[in-house]
Amino acid sequence: MTLHQHLPSNPRSIKTRFAIRFLQTLKRLNKNRPISSSLREIHGRYRIVKLAADASMASVVGSRRVWSRALLWKIRNRALRCNSMKRKRIHALRVRRRGGGGHPTRESGFGQANDLRKLVPGGEVMDICSLLDETADYIKCLTTQVQVMRNIADLYTS
Amino acid sequence: MAGRDNLEPEKGNVDPLNYHSPNLSADWRFSDANLMNTSVELIPRCNSMADFKGNLVESPSCSFVSMVDSFCTTIWDQSTHSQNLGICEINVPNSASNSNTLGIGTSGMGPLRTGGERTLGMGWTPPNAMLKGGVFLPTASGMLPPSLSQFPADSGFIERAARFSCFSAGDFGDIMNPFSSPQSMNPYSRGMASMQGPQEVFLGNGLKTIYNQHQKKEISMTENSKDVEGKAIKGSPLKDDKKSVSFGGDGVSGNESDEAEFSGGGQEEPSMLEGRGGKPSPKAVGSKKRKRSGQDIEIDQVKRAPQQPTETPKDSPEIQQQGNQSPISVTNKPNGKQGKQRSPASASLKEEYIHVRARKGQATNSHSLAERVRREKISERMKFLQDLVPGCSKVTGKAVMLDEIINYVQSLQQQVEFLSMKLATVNPRLDFNIEGLLAKDVLQSHAGPSTLGFPPDMTMPFPLLHSSQPGLIQAGFSGLGNSSDTLRRTINSQGTAMTGGYKEPTSQVSNVWEDELHNVVQMGFNSHVISAPLNSPDLSGHMNAER
Repeated sequence: MTLHQHLPSNPRSIKTRFAIRFLQTLKRLNKNRPISSSLREIHGRYRIVKLAADASMASVVGSRRVWSRALLWKIRNRALRCNSMKRKRIHALRVRRRGGGGHPTRESGFGQANDLRKLVPGGEVMDICSLLDETADYIKCLTTQVQVMRNIADLYTS
Repeated sequence: MAGRDNLEPEKGNVDPLNYHSPNLSADWRFSDANLMNTSVELIPRCNSMADFKGNLVESPSCSFVSMVDSFCTTIWDQSTHSQNLGICEINVPNSASNSNTLGIGTSGMGPLRTGGERTLGMGWTPPNAMLKGGVFLPTASGMLPPSLSQFPADSGFIERAARFSCFSAGDFGDIMNPFSSPQSMNPYSRGMASMQGPQEVFLGNGLKTIYNQHQKKEISMTENSKDVEGKAIKGSPLKDDKKSVSFGGDGVSGNESDEAEFSGGGQEEPSMLEGRGGKPSPKAVGSKKRKRSGQDIEIDQVKRAPQQPTETPKDSPEIQQQGNQSPISVTNKPNGKQGKQRSPASASLKEEYIHVRARKGQATNSHSLAERVRREKISERMKFLQDLVPGCSKVTGKAVMLDEIINYVQSLQQQVEFLSMKLATVNPRLDFNIEGLLAKDVLQSHAGPSTLGFPPDMTMPFPLLHSSQPGLIQAGFSGLGNSSDTLRRTINSQGTAMTGGYKEPTSQVSNVWEDELHNVVQMGFNSHVISAPLNSPDLSGHMNAER
């Protein structure tokens, strides 16, 4: 496959895998969308691109991390909600999810941790220790995402 | 016990692991009751130790690994000795990799402590999974012998250990001699020391003596240990223990005195062991503490012996300690007082691993000690995050650091949103040619295209949006004012890193970035409200201008 000829030195790196998956997801999601320049369409595309980026990033990381699992779960639920309006089930699931984890708001000097929990997907039910772990991994993946997307955008704008 | 002969063939120990097992078994059974008590407590430790196994990076010495290998394989073959197998598997699994051995070391400690309780198996399933066989036999009897038999390398050591448990003073001389290597001794001596109950204390003494002996390679200690056995030394022995422990590290002479002290300490009540720091701490002397003190003693010994190639022994106690928060806290209590004294000797060792020890003047409550372990873990992770977040090297303090982290994550998320918006506008069809993109090495950051495409792209909308929607931008600014500095910093750092040839003044670019991001965020916010973006007219104008 010609694709593999052009892969960078580390074909298995997160960057590579994310890039490939991101582009493939974008292709899939945009198959049936009208091509117009209206703002609403642009905004719709923006949401799709963002969704594709998040979903592909989370799927590349897989279920190894809490945040990727939470992100995938969120995306899936959103689709479910849009499609079938099964709010009750989702609410029940959400409540159940929150039951896990111990004392997230404990520990002195970590009052801002609550803000961090909101930022990192799936951070509400983790204790501070794992929250910091997840944050580190999340930051790493976010920077990868930004780099790849920036490169793609630059390629298209040049 | 023919099977025992096969044990540790690689080690080439002179003494087969005969252990005089039948006798030992009988003797070890005495300790069953003690072991049972601690097994429950050790379960969490084992589990946590398994968790930490993965985190440990240091690799134990080769001898340790080989020891484990030999031990495991030998024990593996001994299907007849189910009890032993239950314990053995702990050591076996990770013979292959160094990191695993760490786990093994820790696990070895764990099971030893629990005396081969069934719980050991539970805790060590992960490491065991690595093994081929997974012959996991819970040690129903929970006898000491199984745990003792696990000690790899030195069959002689095991013999000695068995003898210790048997309280046979006369055997010390025999036990001491056939030591193969100090390294191999250490992890297991530690495990031995962790034996619970009186046997634990006893073993601890014996182990200590063995340990020191190894270090000093002197056999005269045996006599001392023999003598000590029968005594119930109190008071000073604790201090002596400390001294002797340091001897191990320093290789100082005075084996006899050391031995006497050690054994004396060992002989004393567990509380005495706890208070090794020279101050027999009357605190909470319970069976629980007892076992920990034994473990602690061993750990101290290991710590004291920096000379030894004790990567392994250090790791093992470390691992144990990392895995065992609550138990550690208990043991640390008495050692807390000693901690200060010992710190000079073991300072280097302490820094190498997370050893929870109550410092002088600090509360030695089990809760506070566990808290301290947690805090250390958290600070460790904060340091890692500090490296990850750019521009945080000068920041000190958890609160400020957390703020920086939060800002950075926010800025990254905003960048993703902005870039996705950009991609949406730039390529309406979103028909990215994967092969083409990859051929252009999209994964590598390009200085050229970005420099060319960046300024016009970024500066054009800026005046448009700015003039038409000042209010919006102001709102965006205020809303994200806190993160604006971080954004600027981040963008600057990223920009400089990415585009080496970027000549634009970064401040200007960052401003543009910032505003664009703000606008994007505003649009995103608006979209959430399911309303057309407020700056839609400008944006569409901007887009048309671009096209």
